[in-house]
Amino acid sequence: MAIDSSSTCNRIQTQSQLIQMCILAASKSQDAIEAWRRQRRSMERMPVHLAEALLHHLLHRRLLSPSLLEVFKNSIEDFDLKGESCVDAEWMAYLGAFHFLHSLNLADCYKVNSAALWPVTGMSSLKELDLSRCSKVTDAGVRHLLSIPSLEKLCISETGVTANGVILLSSLTNLSTLDLGGLPVTDLALSSLQGLKDLQHLDLWGTKISNEGAALFKAFPRLSFLNVAWTSVTKLPDVSSLKCLNMSNCTIDSLFQGEGDKVPLETLTLSGATVSDVSLALSNVQIGCVFFLDISYSSIDSFYFLSHMGAITHLDLGSSSITDDLVEYIVSIGANLRYLSLSNTRVSSTGLGILAGHVPNLETIVLSFCSIDDTAISYLGMMPSLKVVHLSSTKVKGLIYQEIGNSTWFPSLSSLENLSYLEILELEGTHIRDAALSPLSSFRRLSFLSLGSSYLTDASLPLLTHVQKLVHLGIHNAVLTNAGLDCFSPPPALKLLDLMGCWLLTEDGIRSFHKKHPNLEVRHDLVNLMPSNKDRSVSLSPSKTTSKISLLKQQRNMPISPPRVNNSPFVDQRQKYTREELLAMQFSSTSFSSQ
Amino acid sequence: MESDSGKLKMKKEDMVKLISAEGFEFVIDKKAAMVSQTIRNMLTSPGSFAETEHGEVTFPEISTTILEKICQYFYWSLQYASFYIEVILVHIYIGHCSAHSGKETEFHIEPELTLELMMAANYLHT
Repeated sequence: MAIDSSSTCNRIQTQSQLIQMCILAASKSQDAIEAWRRQRRSMERMPVHLAEALLHHLLHRRLLSPSLLEVFKNSIEDFDLKGESCVDAEWMAYLGAFHFLHSLNLADCYKVNSAALWPVTGMSSLKELDLSRCSKVTDAGVRHLLSIPSLEKLCISETGVTANGVILLSSLTNLSTLDLGGLPVTDLALSSLQGLKDLQHLDLWGTKISNEGAALFKAFPRLSFLNVAWTSVTKLPDVSSLKCLNMSNCTIDSLFQGEGDKVPLETLTLSGATVSDVSLALSNVQIGCVFFLDISYSSIDSFYFLSHMGAITHLDLGSSSITDDLVEYIVSIGANLRYLSLSNTRVSSTGLGILAGHVPNLETIVLSFCSIDDTAISYLGMMPSLKVVHLSSTKVKGLIYQEIGNSTWFPSLSSLENLSYLEILELEGTHIRDAALSPLSSFRRLSFLSLGSSYLTDASLPLLTHVQKLVHLGIHNAVLTNAGLDCFSPPPALKLLDLMGCWLLTEDGIRSFHKKHPNLEVRHDLVNLMPSNKDRSVSLSPSKTTSKISLLKQQRNMPISPPRVNNSPFVDQRQKYTREELLAMQFSSTSFSSQ
Repeated sequence: MESDSGKLKMKKEDMVKLISAEGFEFVIDKKAAMVSQTIRNMLTSPGSFAETEHGEVTFPEISTTILEKICQYFYWSLQYASFYIEVILVHIYIGHCSAHSGKETEFHIEPELTLELMMAANYLHT
């Protein structure tokens, strides 16, 4: 839904100011809609982009009803209803009358079943249809689709369609994108699709195809994207048109064996794959063209091939067997790297030392679950383009021992002060101390900070007040008290304060903090407080908020370690307090969270 | 709008006349009219458009009600738009809308005008 609403916002934001204001006014309430509906029975003469922006905003505001759809039937080309649980057979009946509809996204509309698809029969303008995860759509639904020969893109992954339904698709000869993920597609069913000569994008993850079916990929002369993850395919024929290949969780013997030239792949995903001999497996791939490589969780133990991948910008080695000694292969291709994940590997601070200075363009580094300590942070300071740094569940304390001058413990994060692009810093499940946070106030662009440490106390809060651009602040499992929170003045830009697992805080304490700072969203195990008047702001403002938050979410949900796993050693809270203090706390905290 | 801009000292060349589909004339500040990218192009393009010479633009597609609203918007935009955007941004930023600060600066659009106004705004690039 987050992605959905942000796309709605984008649709509005690209319009000029007066148009934005008109769309907001037109979708302010049911009465407003009635007012303009009396003036206009249809949207004829309305430019498509305006009608679509209005329609999607009405949908976003939950003001769209099937009968209101009728007004838009002649002016909509692209309708995105992904995840709208209200869409049912009645909606479909009205949608069938959309004469100019080019693209219809019904993914995750769980009420849509085979019978509800009947109205789309014969929609000759329809080129793209997404029915992903509509589990009630079966082979009978596919039969309705056969009357739309113009279809170029069809997504029916994780529906109730069987191999027999897939065989029916062979008559849709204009298909260029076909997503059959998670369906029981057999080799026989695949062979019946050989007539789809325009096919460029084929998703077959989790299907029943084997090497026999895989041999048929040669029949698709324009195939450029192929996903056969989670299948029993071990060999691929020579498909020279291929650009993107996903064979995650497959056992790979050989790729593209044949007499042809090497295949110039651009993206290669082998996450979780079992590869016995990687150099043999990749011998027919022109690996110099690959710019995206994901070999996380794979069995690959030789990394020599990396040194030939000069074009690479995105490299995921998470949970692979890479070690400090092998980091030199990354160094040799470091010039173009933008994204690097080494999470849950045996790479230590020494390995980062080898990498530092060789990755001038690196923007994202994921080091979660690595056994790196504070020395690594000084090496990160030598990677000038870093925007996103994940250091969760590492041995980082934030303090480094230095015998220069009179201060012996020195905050290691000060090495990151020079990173002028740094926006996101994750330090969950670490041993970070209060004193370590002092350099943060000089981080000019830091907008997302997530801390998780049982060593953090009230003393950390004042150090966070002056982080100017901070929007999202998470402090987890810390020993914050109501009194400390009460004195905290949040940074000026802050929108969300996440205090999950701060077990000493009480609901009353959090509520009184929220009363003082009503514009913040505050999260805690006991209570989740939204900004006050939230409903109004969402309804009135062309919410940049949503898009920004979803952006953060996206960045946060990058393929990294599980987000909130906290395997830091548990510190017995009883050791930190005297018996008297604990007794006093017993009355101030109503419940102990077990985070 | 004519009475609004009734400052007699105003020079003729600082004003521009916008004519609606029904022939109603709105004389407004050139500066205000320039809020519209379309009108700006008409008035400043180097070719000798009739519009450039006489300071008159006719909109056979825009009704009087809508053109009046558009003119009001031009003036509103000059005065408040940047401020209003700031207000919206602040609201987004702090996540709430204080009705108090909004009221004086809000540009009210009657719901029955929204669609026509939206199309006119699209045409005028404003």
